[in-house]
Amino acid sequence: MLWRIVRRLLVFLASVVVASIAVFWLLSGLGDPARIALGTSATDQSVAELRGQMGLDRPLVAQYLSWAQGAVHGQFGNSFVSKAAIGPQLFDRLSVTLWLVAGAMVISLIIALPLGLFSALWHRRAAGWIISGITQLGVAVPAFLVGILAVAVFAVKLGWLPSGGYAVPAADPVGFLQHMVLPWCSLGLVQGAVLTRYVRSAVLDEMGQDYLRTARSKGLTPFQALLRHGVRNASIPVLTVLGVQLVTILVGAVVVEQVFVIPGIGSWLVKSVGDQDTLQVQAIVMTLVAIALAVSFVIDVLYSLIDPRLRQR
Amino acid sequence: MSVTNRTAKRFRLLTAAFVGGLLVLSACSAGQSVTPTSSSSTPAATSSSSGSVGTSSAATGSGASSGPATSGPGSTVAPTTAAPVSDASLSIGFILEPSSLDFTQADGAAIPQVLLTNVYETLVKLDQSGTIMPSLAQKWTVSPDGKTYTFTLHSGVKFSDGAAFTADDAKFSIDRVTTAWKPVAYRAQMAEAASADIKNVVIASTTVVSPTVFKVVLAKPSNSWLFNLTGRAGAMFSRTGVADLANKPIGTGPYTFQTWNRGDSIVLARNDSYWGTKPSVKTVTFKYFSDPVAMNNALLTGGIQVVSTVQTPQALGQFKTGDKYQIIEGATDGEVQMTLNDGKAPLNDVRVRQAINYAIDKKAILQNAWAGYGTVIGSHESPNDPWFVDEADKYPHDVAKAKALLAAAGRSNLTLNLALPPVPYATAAAPIIISELAEAGITVKATNVTFPVWLDQVFSKADYDMTIINHVEPRDIGALWANPTYYTRYHNPAVAKLLADGDAGTPTEFIADYKKAVVLLADDAAAAWLWSFPNLIVADSNVKGLPKNAVGEAFVLAGLSVG
Amino acid sequence: MTDRKIERGQRLSPTLLIGGTIVAAIVLVAVVSFFWTPWSTIHTDVNYPAAGPGTAGHFLGTDTRGRDIASLLMAGSRTTLYVGILAVGIAAVIGTPLGILAGMVRRGPAELLMRVTDLMLAFPALLLALVFATIWGSSLTTAMTAIGVASIPSFIRVVRSGTVVVMTTDYVQAARVAGRRRFAIAARHVLPNVMGLVIVQVSVSYAIAILAEAALSYLGLGAGPTTASWGRMLYENSAALTYAPVILIWPGLAIALAVLGFNLLGDGLRDRLDPRLAGR
Repeated sequence: MLWRIVRRLLVFLASVVVASIAVFWLLSGLGDPARIALGTSATDQSVAELRGQMGLDRPLVAQYLSWAQGAVHGQFGNSFVSKAAIGPQLFDRLSVTLWLVAGAMVISLIIALPLGLFSALWHRRAAGWIISGITQLGVAVPAFLVGILAVAVFAVKLGWLPSGGYAVPAADPVGFLQHMVLPWCSLGLVQGAVLTRYVRSAVLDEMGQDYLRTARSKGLTPFQALLRHGVRNASIPVLTVLGVQLVTILVGAVVVEQVFVIPGIGSWLVKSVGDQDTLQVQAIVMTLVAIALAVSFVIDVLYSLIDPRLRQR
Repeated sequence: MSVTNRTAKRFRLLTAAFVGGLLVLSACSAGQSVTPTSSSSTPAATSSSSGSVGTSSAATGSGASSGPATSGPGSTVAPTTAAPVSDASLSIGFILEPSSLDFTQADGAAIPQVLLTNVYETLVKLDQSGTIMPSLAQKWTVSPDGKTYTFTLHSGVKFSDGAAFTADDAKFSIDRVTTAWKPVAYRAQMAEAASADIKNVVIASTTVVSPTVFKVVLAKPSNSWLFNLTGRAGAMFSRTGVADLANKPIGTGPYTFQTWNRGDSIVLARNDSYWGTKPSVKTVTFKYFSDPVAMNNALLTGGIQVVSTVQTPQALGQFKTGDKYQIIEGATDGEVQMTLNDGKAPLNDVRVRQAINYAIDKKAILQNAWAGYGTVIGSHESPNDPWFVDEADKYPHDVAKAKALLAAAGRSNLTLNLALPPVPYATAAAPIIISELAEAGITVKATNVTFPVWLDQVFSKADYDMTIINHVEPRDIGALWANPTYYTRYHNPAVAKLLADGDAGTPTEFIADYKKAVVLLADDAAAAWLWSFPNLIVADSNVKGLPKNAVGEAFVLAGLSVG
Repeated sequence: MTDRKIERGQRLSPTLLIGGTIVAAIVLVAVVSFFWTPWSTIHTDVNYPAAGPGTAGHFLGTDTRGRDIASLLMAGSRTTLYVGILAVGIAAVIGTPLGILAGMVRRGPAELLMRVTDLMLAFPALLLALVFATIWGSSLTTAMTAIGVASIPSFIRVVRSGTVVVMTTDYVQAARVAGRRRFAIAARHVLPNVMGLVIVQVSVSYAIAILAEAALSYLGLGAGPTTASWGRMLYENSAALTYAPVILIWPGLAIALAVLGFNLLGDGLRDRLDPRLAGR
């Protein structure tokens, strides 16, 4: 099994390298970063000068290597537009987004685990159908729309919570919670609905298995039987989905951060795209892709720890 | 069974560890590097403002000087009685965040909006009516030939790094515009030498006469030069304080720069050793919102106290109920216009341009797109300009006339492109313009463009038919219409001559010539001017001293108070 | 085999019925909108901005600029279908043959293809759309191309797993023994048998594309100013939230309904076409 993990780790590292080449290649050689940086009034001479300073006159491979070298150390150079170092900002903003993602994930799990379980157990009863129907609706509504409506009702109309912004948890824990409740719910409710459907289908699968039938024939209720025998098996597909969900929430945060004016990595990405700040877009996209790859690596490792068939190898 | 339980437990533990690890990581980093919006460590000065300001002496200008006899001390926007120094703090919402703090290197209106007048001061400044007033210069004289300006500076003024402000700094700052600034528009305003991108030398010499007397000799008389001195090109820097302008702005102003939380806010704190009347509000946070609706919501929920510029005027109704909020409406220097590419067929034909002007109903556009706030204009001018002529009714809404003009020009079935930058007024006005032009037989192909694309395609290469933009810079009529290589591609030597003559003439000639140029531009239908952009502010009703008109480039904080 | 599955195969499931009806209705509205909408979608009734339902001949009222909401909703369905066809078309046309390939060939090439697929999964649709917007500027076609490319891996995965099953069947084995060429086997035997899976995936991806279009248009990176789009309606009228929220409710409902329709259709089709997965 150790070999399996090591092999998976190598695949992960290779994927990161390939992804970085893709990200760099896609976003390089677009427009003229030096001219964007200098604005409209710049002369050709000063643009050429800056291109030299930025190293844009070197071959693409050399540019990639120096970019990748910096990226490994969290140094992504300076933004073309703002001239500020990208690395430290990336870290700040990522921390904000991770709080958002973590909270949304917790909420989606709180919703999905019980709802999914019960809608599977009751799948032939009215309650099960109702839960399924609600989750279908939940899946269909965009998270940002939930956010907009939540702001309208809970912040503007009722005045219970702030409409947007962010407070640093270490400095202002209460303010932090107040600011995060609505974003967490907007992301978490929608993703919770998605997750509920996966949990339901995983549980239904297990209920059809022979060992559960045997257990039930021994007099256990479906719930007891499932709790004793089915949790592990059902958790495998759910785990996979959880990984996908984490990445989905991370990207969904892009729009939700926009609605709630949260200075996270998503709103930063949208702004960088609008500014055509390619170096900054490269840094942000690379970070998000690396996180996505890391999540799938971790999930794979967990997978092999849980699944006995894989553990024996 | 026991195997099952063990693995389930292990799964839970691992998941918990993973999620926990992420959280710890993010908590640490957040605590370290996101600076909370705390105030400076300086204790609040409790003494009330002393009358130590010496701006009361009149400017003894003659000739081309527009220097007036000044009124009260302190900030020109301050109420008649300056509010006492307080511990109050204020959060003000803005749309455009600066890209950098250094306007000597980066262009854009957002940087001087924060820093000018508040952190950096100028020798002279504007009051609410656009009159030039003393600031760091307590008075100035102009020679009869209109070329030599002699400024008498305040003594005892200190930069926030402790260095004294003297005539040497004034010379250093003005000279530096030519030698070290990047944006060519401002280098041109203070040009001391011709260069590849600058034709006209503006300043012949700058001289330090004594520590408090600074003399500038112009290459030729100019009415706009002293006005330009009130803008960013006239900002006074310390000879020892320009090493790191992008991160550490050092000026003489009533506020000092504290922190910049990128993507979120900039915090300024009162300069407790300010030479003039100390401002009332202790800390001011400039808070940036990319979404104007989110900015309104922040005011409604107490996240900010002032919306500096209302970008959703239709939604103002929510602030009108009760007396919790105040709405301030005045003028800005901005003209919202649909720029027409005057250098390219078919818009190089004056009949087509006039047809477009007849086809659009400007009153309806203002009413619908901007809820009627602002003034309909028919030429390049703002009510702030001393040469304002009302040309709004030059082309009344008349679809038949528009069609006739198009037919006469042989352009009855016309398709035009419209490039829309991501700004609320363009998004709001475009649908109505598209609808009205369609009625006159003009098909509009509209595209959204990002600002970099707009700057590249429209502004630099003039590869466009029409675009909607607010020209916010004060007194920019010459920049737009006297330069045939500008993106408007407007070429009319008569207009260029009027503007040049006016600038070099007496104040009376100046106004008269500019008025003539304004009328000529309207006759030519050089653009489809839409409305003069209003200064529209919503604020908690206990915020006092907000400016009615937005004059100049700064959002002036000195006159504000809370309570 | 349970009795439930047999029962389900015999009659139209409510899921399929509801989903099919919603999608059919959207298609119908889109087709009608080509020939007729109550008002022109670019016409602004300047005297009646943000008017309530029934005002001045506007059945559902007008938006903040005075455009007829009913007309915009109708024409918006066109955009919704167009973005789906483009995005899902790209994904299906590229993903299906690659999936069959990955399922038919052994070892090396298939392994590499699946690694690339895994890698592509790390580029979620919205992220890729933002990258594409940086490169080619914001437009509906750019955005949907990105979403299409991002959806390719899910097609490859689904089709591959179906192909692996088909390859073990007796008739494919027989065809291989008979010396049929691989391409012929893929075209004659595999493709028809995985088509059900593809159709289900089309339906699911369609819903995802609609949501992505809405999000991108809301960020101002989607539909252009003269294109009627539900996401763009949300973007342009976001200021109306506090004084005429109903303007936002309509496009919001339309988006939710369309996504619901395609999701239900996908679920229903899955139950019907893939008995192995029935009952989820």
